[in-house]
Amino acid sequence: MALNKQKITGLIVGFAIGTVVVVKLILTNSPGVVMDSLVARTQGPASAKVNIVEFIDFECPACARGAIELKEYLARYPQDLRVQIKYFPLMQMHRHALQVASYSECVSRQGKFWTFFDSLMLQQGQWSQLVSAQGVFDQMAQQAGVNMAKLKSCLSSDDVSSTIMSEKALGQSLGVRSTPTYFINKKMVVGSKSLADELTHDFPSVSQ
Amino acid sequence: MAVCLRLFIGLVLLVSGFEKLISPYQNFLYVIQAYQMFPSWMETAAALLVPWVELMVGIFLVLGLWLKRSLKGAVILLACFIIIVGQALLRHLPLEDCGCFGEAIHIPPQGIMVFDSLMLLSAFWLLRYPSKVKGLSLDKYFNS
Repeated sequence: MALNKQKITGLIVGFAIGTVVVVKLILTNSPGVVMDSLVARTQGPASAKVNIVEFIDFECPACARGAIELKEYLARYPQDLRVQIKYFPLMQMHRHALQVASYSECVSRQGKFWTFFDSLMLQQGQWSQLVSAQGVFDQMAQQAGVNMAKLKSCLSSDDVSSTIMSEKALGQSLGVRSTPTYFINKKMVVGSKSLADELTHDFPSVSQ
Repeated sequence: MAVCLRLFIGLVLLVSGFEKLISPYQNFLYVIQAYQMFPSWMETAAALLVPWVELMVGIFLVLGLWLKRSLKGAVILLACFIIIVGQALLRHLPLEDCGCFGEAIHIPPQGIMVFDSLMLLSAFWLLRYPSKVKGLSLDKYFNS
C-alpha cells in the first residue's frame, strides 16, 4: 500500500491519540479516593452529602485560601459537609513542607489537628517566610494543647514520615500533581477557585 | 544546526503536551487559572485543547511533516505563552512556577520568558530558511 502524505498524517495522529489514551488508562487504574478511618484529620458527620478529601501542602498559599473557604462552608453547613485532610508536601518548592506535615501528623495523633491546622493556615504568610519555623510550630502546638514531650518523641519517629509519604504516593497514583487538590464526592478539583466554583455550582443545596 | 533546532523545539512541545495529557486536565486548568487572564469557560477549553495542540505540533516538527504549518503553529503557541506569562509578570502575580511542564520540570516565570523567547526567535529563523530545515524530514521524502 502506497502511503501518501495525508495517509501518513492520519496514521501519526491516530497513533499519538492512541498512545496518550493507553498511557492515561495505565496511569489512572485506581478506583478513586475514598475517605478512610482517619478520625483525627476528618471533620463533619459520616452521613454528609458532600465528602471532600483534600491533598494539601500546608505551605502553599492557595491551600490557605482554600482552607478558609472550606472552614466557612463547614461552619454554615455542618451537617452537609465532611472534610478529610491528606498530606501532599511539595518539598522541591517549599522548605518547610515536610517538617510542617510531620508536626501536623504528630499533633493529629494527640487529637488536636484542627486547632493546629487553623493556626497554621491563618499564619501561613508569616511562618512560610522564616528560615527556621520550628519555634513557631512548637508554639502553635503548645497553644493547641499538645503534650510537648510526646510531640518531640513522635517527630523523631520514622513512622511519621512514612505515613506522610504513603499519603503523597496515594495522591500521585490518583493524578495529584499540585496542591490544593480536592476530591469532592470522588470528583477531582484542583485549586481554590475551582473549589469555590464546584461548591457554588455543583452543590446548590450546600451553597444556598 | 537548523535541523537540530527544529528537533529541539519539536521535542520540547511534544514532551510538554504529553506530560499534561497523561495527567488529569484539572492540573493544567489550575495552572491556567493562576494567570488570571481568561473567563472560566475559556480556561477549561484551553486546559483541554492546548496540550493536544502542543503534542501534535511537536510530533510534526520532530518528524518534519507539514513543516511550514508546524513551524507557524509553534510560533503562534510560543507567542501566546510569552504574552500570558508576560502579563502575569507585569501584574506581579504570585507565581512560583510557570507550570509549563507539569510536575516534570519546575521553571520560574522569568526563566520561561527567556526560554520561550529564544525558542520563538529560533522558530522565526527556521521559517525564513525553509530549505535548511528540511533535513531528516518526511516532507523531504514526500517531495523527492
